[in-house]
Amino acid sequence: MDPALRTAASGMAAQQTRIEVIANNLANVNTPGFKRSRAHFEDLLYQMAQGAATIGGAATATLPAIQVGRGTRLAAVQRIETQGPIEQTGRPLDVAIEGEGFFQVQLPNGVTAYTRDGSLMISDQGTLVTHGGYAILPGIDIPPDAASITISRNGVVTVQAAGQTEPIEIGRIELARFANPGGLLALGENLYMETPASGPALIGFPQEDGFGRLVQGSLEASNVEIVQEMVDMIAALRAYEINAKAVKASEDMAEITNGMVR
Amino acid sequence: MNTEPLRRAAQALYYWERRQEVLANNLANAETDGFKGMRVFGRLVQDALLAPETATDFRQGTLTPTGGPLDLAIEGDGFFVVQTPAGERLSRGGALRLDEAGRLVDGAGRPLLGEDGPIVVPPGTVQIDAGGTVRVDGTEVGRLRVERLPEGAEPQRDAGTLFVPGPVRVPVPEGERHVRQGFVERSNVDPLDSLVEMITVQRSYAAIERGIRVMDGVLERIANDIGRVS
Repeated sequence: MDPALRTAASGMAAQQTRIEVIANNLANVNTPGFKRSRAHFEDLLYQMAQGAATIGGAATATLPAIQVGRGTRLAAVQRIETQGPIEQTGRPLDVAIEGEGFFQVQLPNGVTAYTRDGSLMISDQGTLVTHGGYAILPGIDIPPDAASITISRNGVVTVQAAGQTEPIEIGRIELARFANPGGLLALGENLYMETPASGPALIGFPQEDGFGRLVQGSLEASNVEIVQEMVDMIAALRAYEINAKAVKASEDMAEITNGMVR
Repeated sequence: MNTEPLRRAAQALYYWERRQEVLANNLANAETDGFKGMRVFGRLVQDALLAPETATDFRQGTLTPTGGPLDLAIEGDGFFVVQTPAGERLSRGGALRLDEAGRLVDGAGRPLLGEDGPIVVPPGTVQIDAGGTVRVDGTEVGRLRVERLPEGAEPQRDAGTLFVPGPVRVPVPEGERHVRQGFVERSNVDPLDSLVEMITVQRSYAAIERGIRVMDGVLERIANDIGRVS
């Protein structure tokens, strides 16, 4: 009965991974721009437990071949890139993306990362940065005498200097989108990196060719729904228990076999 | 000495062990997308021996929306065709992604085949319609092959939630395809059903074991006690 024990154990391990993923989702229920993940599993190798065989002498009969599977394994943990709710914050430098697209961010090593967390700031050099201090690409410099900043839906950034009435355009935010945003590599700090799985970035302006629009004074909340995660957690827990029962049942059967020889 | 009953009982134990193994595999895959449960049937061979026979339960699993542009499921019957080193395999879809060459591949990197081979997806928004036509920003880049199994066929399985197609291939006409983008098909295993079945397996196994003990006792009497002059 050893195979059944191992098979059931692989099921328990799978459910444990699933609960870890759910726990991370729940931990990030208040992280702006966070996207929930889901664990995907696939089945393991099948073994020919009984080959097609012919038995008997005079009156022969054929036994069919049967395949027995040997459990499950983690195939991928995939991010679910659905839109999170747009929440108003009233802060002029909070920018949410409604629809497709990511802000482009320059990492210190020169690599471009992507984020949907638009809680922006102005650095000591006067450039627009993320709250982690990474510069937004293309770079946008805010003049020191700016009294107010407006970011329009299509990404145009304008400032109004103190005492002036005419707003001045100082740049335009560009977004990146991907064929498979779920394939982006998560770097932490709400940042993502392009991978072969995501496909190359397609750069463009907000509100044009399929890109989403920008909403100033708002942030995109996490797309984690607590109720959904709770239901998933209950399902994972039950599946874990049932697999544990299968381990127990297989063990009991082995014990019975063992007890047969007196 | 007639040991035929013992042999039959041993074969019956073997049958219930296989059944437990298949159940354990079903339960382990209760959350595996696109997984189809297996059932074990008993068949009497030569009116005496209980032999296991398996069949796949092809019932539809629940379609769960994920919103992912590369998550594909099929409503109703049909399979996508994937390329593996061992040849073409049938798959019910799942969470797909792109590989280094921009080809549409499954979670483990096996390319999905279109009518003209693997489908290369350029940057842009991917749309896949019910007929399996893949469009990127409105431009058609390929059409997925969708096949069904011949009537009554029982396919072999392969790791990765795949099935091995038989010699007869049956493409599904475009009008009968129901490819769903942004959904994954959950496993069709019902853990509760399996749990109930597991109890049956355990009880049957224990009952046969008791039978073997009784037969063993009878044989012991024959061997040791009969004919003894006390």
